[in-house]
Amino acid sequence: MNWRGIKAVVLKDAILYFRNRFFAVITMLGLVTFVIIYFVMPSTVDETLKLGVYAPGIPPEILESQEIQDGIELTVIPSEEKLKDEVLEGTYIAGLALAGNPSAEFSINVYLASDLPDEMRDTIEALITEMAFQVTGKPAPVKWQQEILGRDMAGEQIPQRDRMRSLFAVFILFTETFGLAGLLSEEFERRTAQALLVTPLTLKDLFTAKAILGTIMAFVQAMIVLAIVGGMNVQPLIITVAVLLGAVLVTALAFFMAALGKDFISVMAWGIPGMVILIIPAFAIMAPGITSDWIKVIPSYYLTDTIFQVANLEAGWNEIWSNLLILIGFNIVLLSAGILALRRKAQWA
Amino acid sequence: MGVMRIAVLLRKELFQGPKNFFFIGAIIMPLILSFAISLVFGTLFNDQASLGIVDEGNSQLVMMIEENSALVSIEYKNFDELTDAVRNGAVDGGLVLIPDFDEMVKQGEQVDIPLYMWGESLAKDRSIILATVSNLVRELANQEVPIDIETITLGEEENIPWNDRLLPLIVLMAVALAGLALAGSSLVAEKEKKTIDAVVVTPTTINQVFIAKGLLGIIIGVISGIIILLINQAFGTNPALLVMLLILGGIMAAGIGLLMGAFSQNVTTFFSGMKLFGALLYAPAIFYFFPDMPQWIGKIFPTYYIVQPIVEISQQNAGWSQISFEVFILIGLDVALITLVAMIIRKKPQYAV
Repeated sequence: MNWRGIKAVVLKDAILYFRNRFFAVITMLGLVTFVIIYFVMPSTVDETLKLGVYAPGIPPEILESQEIQDGIELTVIPSEEKLKDEVLEGTYIAGLALAGNPSAEFSINVYLASDLPDEMRDTIEALITEMAFQVTGKPAPVKWQQEILGRDMAGEQIPQRDRMRSLFAVFILFTETFGLAGLLSEEFERRTAQALLVTPLTLKDLFTAKAILGTIMAFVQAMIVLAIVGGMNVQPLIITVAVLLGAVLVTALAFFMAALGKDFISVMAWGIPGMVILIIPAFAIMAPGITSDWIKVIPSYYLTDTIFQVANLEAGWNEIWSNLLILIGFNIVLLSAGILALRRKAQWA
Repeated sequence: MGVMRIAVLLRKELFQGPKNFFFIGAIIMPLILSFAISLVFGTLFNDQASLGIVDEGNSQLVMMIEENSALVSIEYKNFDELTDAVRNGAVDGGLVLIPDFDEMVKQGEQVDIPLYMWGESLAKDRSIILATVSNLVRELANQEVPIDIETITLGEEENIPWNDRLLPLIVLMAVALAGLALAGSSLVAEKEKKTIDAVVVTPTTINQVFIAKGLLGIIIGVISGIIILLINQAFGTNPALLVMLLILGGIMAAGIGLLMGAFSQNVTTFFSGMKLFGALLYAPAIFYFFPDMPQWIGKIFPTYYIVQPIVEISQQNAGWSQISFEVFILIGLDVALITLVAMIIRKKPQYAV
């Protein structure tokens, strides 16, 4: 290995990259956009349905000790008019005006806003009806034996923006592949690579230099964003290792794309379908249950799952070592295949 | 003005365009997204509680749950499939109905039924599942509601389903992607290949080249926007007004595309710009996804003045009087952009060629 030559190529490419101030500024602004999206999104999960209650003469506690109460937040409102106003303003999803006495004659007016979806109307009606049964002491003919499958996250739900951390990391990493693949493919098409190879630099050195630059560029950007959005708050070493492996993975994919494409546009044509596939596991984290075990054949699954588990569920090495091992395996296979494909292109060129 | 020359240049763009990746992407992407995003995001943002059921007998309750819109129900073949689905979050809850369940309930027997809940399911979804299923079981057992419940609807606003909320994003994507990507990428590609130098040594002026490329973006953007609106049956009662807005939106997108194209020396730089400006252009549409977010933020972005009138016309059948304020701002922004592009061509020709 000609490390001096490799260092020179890495420095040359880095200088070229940052000399283009527009390119550099835009890349930074792109990162800022991700950060803004993160901070604009809600930081908490609203787990309850908020109902306003106007119940003159009826102790509100009567409604608060029911089996279905965990998911409902009742707030007592001093007047029926105010209750209607609050429902119209969207403070409460529904307003209940109770009249009479639960032990004798009893009625409920349910106020719903007109823009409430039909399914939510049915939901509210079901909830109120069940509350009415329970308030009047009529047990259901079934006794539910509740069992929680998986870790019970009640009260500690993960906000959607924190689920998106994996998506940010994967998106930044894979977007960077276009830049590296474009640079590589144009280097061969414009024959600047051939010019470099007449120096003491070998093809192996050239690939190593490109791999180092691509990995550093992808890694640094993803780490900056993850650090700002709180992805490094728990087990930073695991996250660093995972992102580094992810950066190597995208560099390997960039080699493939560069071997297939002739210029930046054809690199994009090959890369976008690949990128869409690789982003699927990050979407699966945002909407659990939409995919099944087939998702594990996508290499990026092991990266997104690691970031999600560590950053959100405080997983440690014991829980994710297998993910990292599989990611290393994918990296070895894909990097070898990518280099082979690019070497063939270089030889033909 | 050289209308004939512009027409020749435009014809060339339209015939050569389909070989360009951006051209194909700009037309096909919004169409694919129109079908795919509504499907994917419709599921992603569906906040209805879901219940998996295994029916070991032939319970009437299954059909009652299916017909109730408070829950989304999925039937599973066996216990293992059901618990797997609950464990990985495919459904919020899981219910196993034993043989003779209906008879036991109708005879007033107290039946113990396991109800599995996904660990990450929201507390409100758990309550909804419990309340809805309990209610339906009571109905099966012919229990009567013990009190009078009257539902009263307040206000006149209509509910906007997710598919409708997604429409602004898709329309904006169609207009902006075509206007921005086509006009800009075509300019950058010519600059990179130096063909623009060859064109401007002929009697064709750089202004005419810019106009032709801008028109390409506007025409394709407007056509894509119209197709998206037709597919989504969202033409509203004022189609002429809608087309006018698409044209004004196309002018804005093409103007931004030409500016980006003028300042980008190669496609790589142009693509980097699209990464940023793409996110900024689509930003107002995001606020339709999340109505709880402060809506004034959306007004900061220039594309708000394309999206908002389109939403008002297509979803609320608004007329000129309701949208005129936003339209005048949009026209003002278009004029400013055109002026800026013209100034760059005149005062900084090195960017244009």
